Amino acid sequence: MLKTLIGRELLDNLMTFRFAAATFIMLLLVVANTFVLIIDYERRLTGHNDAVKMHQRQLQEKITYSAGLDRLSADRPPNPLSIFNVGFDKRLGNEVQVSHGVVPSLWDGYMHGSSNPFMDMFASMDIVFIFEVILSLFALLFAYDAFAGEYEAGTLRLVLTHPIGRSKILVAKYMSAMLCLIVPLLISLLLAIILLTTSTAISLNSDDFLRIGGIILTSVAYLSVFYLIGLLISAATRRTSTALMLSMFVWGFLVLVYPNVILTVIPRSEAPDALRTSAFNRIESIWDTFDRERKHYLATDDFPGEDWGYELRGWGSRSAYFWDNPRTLMYTYNSIMDFEGFGEEDEPKMPHAQKHFGFLGAQTINAAGRTWLIRKPALEEIFIQPANVERVWLKLSPVGLYDAATQAWAGTDLLGIRDFFHAARQYRQSVINYLYDHKVFESRQWFAGDKGAADWSGLPQFSFQRDDISTNAKRALPDVCLLLMINVVLFIVIFLIFVKTEV
Amino acid sequence: MWHIAKREIYNNLNSLRFALATVLLLGLMLTNAVVHLREYPERVQQYRERVSGHQNHIAAHAESSLYDLAQQGPGDLYKKPSDLRFCAEGGETFMADRAVGGYHRWSTGTLKSFWILTYPSATPNRDNVRPEVTKVDWGFIIGYVLSLVALLFTFDSISGERERGTLRLTLANPIPRHTVLIGKFLGAFISVSIPFILAVLVNLLVISTSSTVYLDAEAWGRLGIIFFVAVLYTCLFLAFGLLVSARVQRSAVSLVILLLVWVVFVVFMPSTLVSIAGRSTSSGPTYDLWERSSKLHGELRRDYSPRRHKEPEGTTKRMEMDGAYVTEDAEQQEQLHEERLNQRIAEVHRARAITRISPVTIVQNLIESFAGTGFERHLQFLENVQTYAREFRTFIVDTDNADPESLHIFGVRMGMSQEPVSPEAVPKFEDTLNLSKDFNTAAMELLLLTLFVLVLLSGAYLAFVRVEV
Repeated sequence: MLKTLIGRELLDNLMTFRFAAATFIMLLLVVANTFVLIIDYERRLTGHNDAVKMHQRQLQEKITYSAGLDRLSADRPPNPLSIFNVGFDKRLGNEVQVSHGVVPSLWDGYMHGSSNPFMDMFASMDIVFIFEVILSLFALLFAYDAFAGEYEAGTLRLVLTHPIGRSKILVAKYMSAMLCLIVPLLISLLLAIILLTTSTAISLNSDDFLRIGGIILTSVAYLSVFYLIGLLISAATRRTSTALMLSMFVWGFLVLVYPNVILTVIPRSEAPDALRTSAFNRIESIWDTFDRERKHYLATDDFPGEDWGYELRGWGSRSAYFWDNPRTLMYTYNSIMDFEGFGEEDEPKMPHAQKHFGFLGAQTINAAGRTWLIRKPALEEIFIQPANVERVWLKLSPVGLYDAATQAWAGTDLLGIRDFFHAARQYRQSVINYLYDHKVFESRQWFAGDKGAADWSGLPQFSFQRDDISTNAKRALPDVCLLLMINVVLFIVIFLIFVKTEV
Repeated sequence: MWHIAKREIYNNLNSLRFALATVLLLGLMLTNAVVHLREYPERVQQYRERVSGHQNHIAAHAESSLYDLAQQGPGDLYKKPSDLRFCAEGGETFMADRAVGGYHRWSTGTLKSFWILTYPSATPNRDNVRPEVTKVDWGFIIGYVLSLVALLFTFDSISGERERGTLRLTLANPIPRHTVLIGKFLGAFISVSIPFILAVLVNLLVISTSSTVYLDAEAWGRLGIIFFVAVLYTCLFLAFGLLVSARVQRSAVSLVILLLVWVVFVVFMPSTLVSIAGRSTSSGPTYDLWERSSKLHGELRRDYSPRRHKEPEGTTKRMEMDGAYVTEDAEQQEQLHEERLNQRIAEVHRARAITRISPVTIVQNLIESFAGTGFERHLQFLENVQTYAREFRTFIVDTDNADPESLHIFGVRMGMSQEPVSPEAVPKFEDTLNLSKDFNTAAMELLLLTLFVLVLLSGAYLAFVRVEV
């Protein structure tokens, strides 16, 4: 019996104009946008490769370690799945400096790429955004007359005269409509994936396909939520015109209005300024101590005078400075000596200078480590927590949940981007280990390139691998589960309404 | 005709959609006003501080000497924030709020580089981890929400009557069809206008009664034009709704068609077209500019260096050579920056030209132009800055010429007037907006929008006249 019902409903839906229109529009939008998004991705990838090459070149040009380490950076490649949901992939820094004086974090990153900043003012959209808008609209258009239409036509009464449970009718309606709605979704996604695989710049591995699978699963759950909302309205109102009007306004509110308005309506949760100031003061005192010890060393070592450059008179440049940014709690000390050669009279000073730089290197790393211990929780509290509060507000709408879940699947969410900076921190550690192992700080190459230039070939290389699928799944599942829960609740409510109504 | 319109209005006023539209528009407009009142004072305060900073900068250098002023330049020049930013955000965050008049590039011995005008790009926080949302400005409310409401008011105005059979009844009376159509159009227009006007009034009431915001006569004039644009835009969608409603037998189908067209043209078209247009970016990344700049300077230095050093220090000839070196360098570099800026602007123009197919972009561009935000406004600011830079340089030349003791050799300290300049005499930068100029740039889009409306209206008329009941 259920089969007959589903068959009837399916036929009813498939032969309609809205089904044809839905399929056509979905295909058109998804294919056109995927095409554009792939080109955009390829451009970003080229930008990334250029930047990596340029950084390599700049590093190789340096003949001393101190000058080279000032140029060492880690670059974040664009995420191919950003085509599905761009998330933070284009917004947050994709390049961060890796020096021994700073533990790199998201707030130290900067951006290479966008060759025309004006173009950023045009919004770009990804495939998930298309689904967000279109799928929800179609789901409501399929649902609004599911019950109301049958009440009006009187066919519901007819169906209920047969010995069929009402639950079966409900399930049949739900199943058939979902089947109809999934068809355009799957076809358009398949076409998008085919387009992706034809592009030479994009290589997807098996994990990526699983991630896309996760996105599809989430999309279906999202679709179902909106279908059930439409069904609920349809069951509750009994008139098609009212149901339609209400559905459209609900759609406008949930998709257009709520995500854009809510964040301006709620009071902005800002971390208190006192927190920032106190953290910065503590960081400042670390570097004050560092500076005192540095001066103390210079004053008490065997070499007379307090010049950190040991009065070396050679050919080259030297600079030393403290650098801070109270907004992002950044503080560091950098001393760069880049000499090509020395006069005779400088040779006796060399051992002193080498010993000093050995001391300074270790001290800087130590101070940077202690800074990070203060900085990490403070940044978390100042930047991340208010943002997380806002994210929770957004998730009150299914649109927000869907967006968050697909971002997590694609790995373009905040956590996914932060993974990169985590990798950069690990890379910094391995560079430091390398520097210690090879006694680079105490070496002559640290500040002079006259007796053999700095050897960059042995330095560890940075590479960033996105986490495997299990991490993505772990991050996405809470939101997916919430979506499924909304589904179940809506279904139960509809069932109760439907059972209680008199035909 | 008026009778039909009245009937339509009564019908609509009692309907659910009217109530929902009123609530939605009121809520959005109120939010918009509250947010504007929260952000506006801070923005104005910041601008005032920056302007006084600019004036202090000029005063400090003017009091020292003319050379100092000529070498340092006028400092940072700031864009005046618009009073009507609540009407259109206009991507202001992606455009710089300043142009830089002079930064130190190099110095050799006593010779220093002269100031040049550069255009920094905006720096949206790269560490902003908050979720990104569209600003709810009038552009959003009118462009997206009002157009959707307009469609929802018209989708069944003809097809619905046909379904119920009342259309046949109406047409049985001796009324020409176009009167029926115009009546329906007017009815729908007034029923959509009521919630919109109400919302706009509440919005303006909240904003204008606040003590922090002062709107002058020109601002009200601009608001009037924006309102007119909104009305025109609503007419566009009403006409479109009538057109589809007249052609289609069932109102459900009519709504599906309308919504799909709306989604494609309003939601997707603008950004998809921009991405297609914007994929051929020709200006390279930022570090490209630095490399070209240093290469250019290097060539110039190699060219001048031997000739300069042939002349002994302190002679007039050496001074002339030095001056020529400095001024030529400044000219070259400034030209480099300007070329790059023009390249970028041309790209944006190309992209914007394509998006004009979508009515929502036209309307948003129009609202931006009249609200004094957005890209056209930025171009006006850049023009103001360039005019000012010329004025500033002319002032330096004139002042130098007025000093009989000066050698009139630019670019060198000893060659120029040693007298301090009165800070009041130095021209100050003031960013201004010009309504007639805005009108000029917007005229084309305004005409395009009117054309769309007329085409759709006549389309609706033809469709309705030929339809069989």
